[in-house]
Amino acid sequence: MQLIEKAREYEFLGREFLGWLWFKSETTEGGFSLGEAGSAEIHFDGRVVLQTEDEGREEKVICLGDVWRSREARFALAEYKTITEAKVRLRIGDNEWSFVLDSTWMNFKSFKTPKVIQDKEQDPDGLFYEKFYLIEQAMSAVDAVFASFVNLRLSADWEESELPALLQWINEGR
Amino acid sequence: MGLIYGSGSFTRFLVDGGLPVDYLEEFPKKIARFSFRSIDEASDQERSSGWVDIMDMFDSRFAAMEYLKEPCIALSWRVDQRKVPPKALRRYCREAEEKIKVSENLEFLSKKRRQEIKEAMQAALIKRAIPTSRTYDMIWNVQSGLVIFGGVSNKLCDEFTEFFLQCFGLHLKTLFPYSLAGRILEKEGKDALLLEDLRPSLNKVL
Repeated sequence: MQLIEKAREYEFLGREFLGWLWFKSETTEGGFSLGEAGSAEIHFDGRVVLQTEDEGREEKVICLGDVWRSREARFALAEYKTITEAKVRLRIGDNEWSFVLDSTWMNFKSFKTPKVIQDKEQDPDGLFYEKFYLIEQAMSAVDAVFASFVNLRLSADWEESELPALLQWINEGR
Repeated sequence: MGLIYGSGSFTRFLVDGGLPVDYLEEFPKKIARFSFRSIDEASDQERSSGWVDIMDMFDSRFAAMEYLKEPCIALSWRVDQRKVPPKALRRYCREAEEKIKVSENLEFLSKKRRQEIKEAMQAALIKRAIPTSRTYDMIWNVQSGLVIFGGVSNKLCDEFTEFFLQCFGLHLKTLFPYSLAGRILEKEGKDALLLEDLRPSLNKVL
């Protein structure tokens, strides 16, 4: 199977992850365990794009502003739309990142790291390593949260407790 | 803006296959061979792409192998492109066609002739076009095999993976939810085939 076909066939995994991420960020005050790396806070922030999953019926809703307060975004979720893009704020300790996650490729768009300390002129290598570390830290955090989701998604707990709770939360958005 | 300076967008890839044992000897030659070279202004070349220093897009000499930043190879892929604005091309073609019609006393020009004029005008005008330069950062962690590429469009990523293959002789596999999940399961000693049974669950009746 071609890569693009596989990505499209399993795009629901990315969409479900973003939906679950929003659900958890609201019901756990944004707290996520990163295993040995500690914990992080993730909040939806400023932009969320929702789409129908049916190929023949393409409807897209783009919500801007305070997404966590957006009734339109929650309503769109309840109307069988799923999240294809979400801008999130990630906080680990005193550091904060912001970026847009997308459901098809899980790539990072408009990625902003915390302010770097190293100076380009005085220590270009220092700047590189500081920035690289900050990129890796954010990627690892998202991967750790995604790993929690994947394990949960494959477990019996998904059908027994997590999915009903998620669907109930979605339904409350009507 | 690149990943190192300011904000940006990126896609993740995994290098397919292991790193050559002699990569520290071989890669500098490959990088030098695929380093960026400016478009020759006198030519009708439209595009040029190649590696530049990730900290300085105007430097492609790599005199001190600045790209080796353990455990990474960090480079920028610079793409210069020059284009003739379509309206300008139409205008110059029209003028050229009119001149030929007058000089050869013709009422119409054949499609083939008009195509020849268009190609000649394109070749002449491209020499006057100023190239636009774009750079896309690439950070390759040679220990983990993870490549971060500072671009997200499918077309750009395809072009980059092709360039990477030509340069290093290594294929890149795009990471996406399914492959990321498979990687996670394999790391935990589980069977990645478990994913094959998954079906969408959020479209269930509430």
